[in-house]
Amino acid sequence: MICCKECLDLLYDYIEGSLDQETTDSLEEHFHECPPCISFMKTYKSTTTICRDTLNQVEVPDAVREALLKVLKENKEHPGEN
Amino acid sequence: MSFTQPKEDKKLEEALVREFQGGDLEAYDKIAEIYQKKIYGLSFNLTRNQMDAQDVTQEVLLTLFRKIHTFQGKSAFSSWVYRITLNASYMKLRSKKKEPNVSIDELMPSFNGAGFQQEKIQDWSENTESLLFTNETSDVINKAIDLLPEKEKVVFLLRDVEGLSTEKAGEILDLTVPAVKSRLHRARLFLRKKLSSYFEEFSSRKVEK
Repeated sequence: MICCKECLDLLYDYIEGSLDQETTDSLEEHFHECPPCISFMKTYKSTTTICRDTLNQVEVPDAVREALLKVLKENKEHPGEN
Repeated sequence: MSFTQPKEDKKLEEALVREFQGGDLEAYDKIAEIYQKKIYGLSFNLTRNQMDAQDVTQEVLLTLFRKIHTFQGKSAFSSWVYRITLNASYMKLRSKKKEPNVSIDELMPSFNGAGFQQEKIQDWSENTESLLFTNETSDVINKAIDLLPEKEKVVFLLRDVEGLSTEKAGEILDLTVPAVKSRLHRARLFLRKKLSSYFEEFSSRKVEK
């Protein structure tokens, strides 16, 4: 059976679905025997999701949007002055 | 959200770029509208500063206007925009702070001689929903991202936050696919570890109730 270290090394490709069947089987066999590695995998996946959801919350503030519009308009009318 | 670009969007974008290269200023306005949020979001997540992100966005949009004739279409237009955005953001960062001295290796998982996990692993993945989007959680996540070394951070932002493919992130950063994968994996391990104590504490509180 593979050990936890090997399991973690394979985690990325396992989540991507890019492991061959044999390796997938031995990894899943490890998961079956090792609940901590299942917890690790779940929290590894969650990490990406929660960071993505949080960081994608960034919106361009209205004041910034207006300032940008103004600069772009001026630039089109008088290119090269900004 | 900005996941991998659908085909139709890519075609529309290519048409807009050609029109703008031919002198159509309305096409430029549309390009600026499409990219404004992406440029601002990426530069804000890198610099964590509204003024800097505004400066970077302005600079990038002006560069697109002035340098569009130098874009030859060898790589995707979006890759070109992301590269200019990263360079402008790095200029802001370099002019200010030093890179924090965080050793990412110290936070990598540890194993015993037989290769088995040494620390207790708790599954907090089911208990994140009610915490998401609270100020405290955002703070914890942003601080953890800030601690990532630049090399890992940029890969994480492009691949996991912007949702670009591994290949595209590699094209933008001039890295091989295995290098992107390795940095991303390290970034995720580091962040998982950093976020664990916060979410574990919440999970335990929930169980106690």
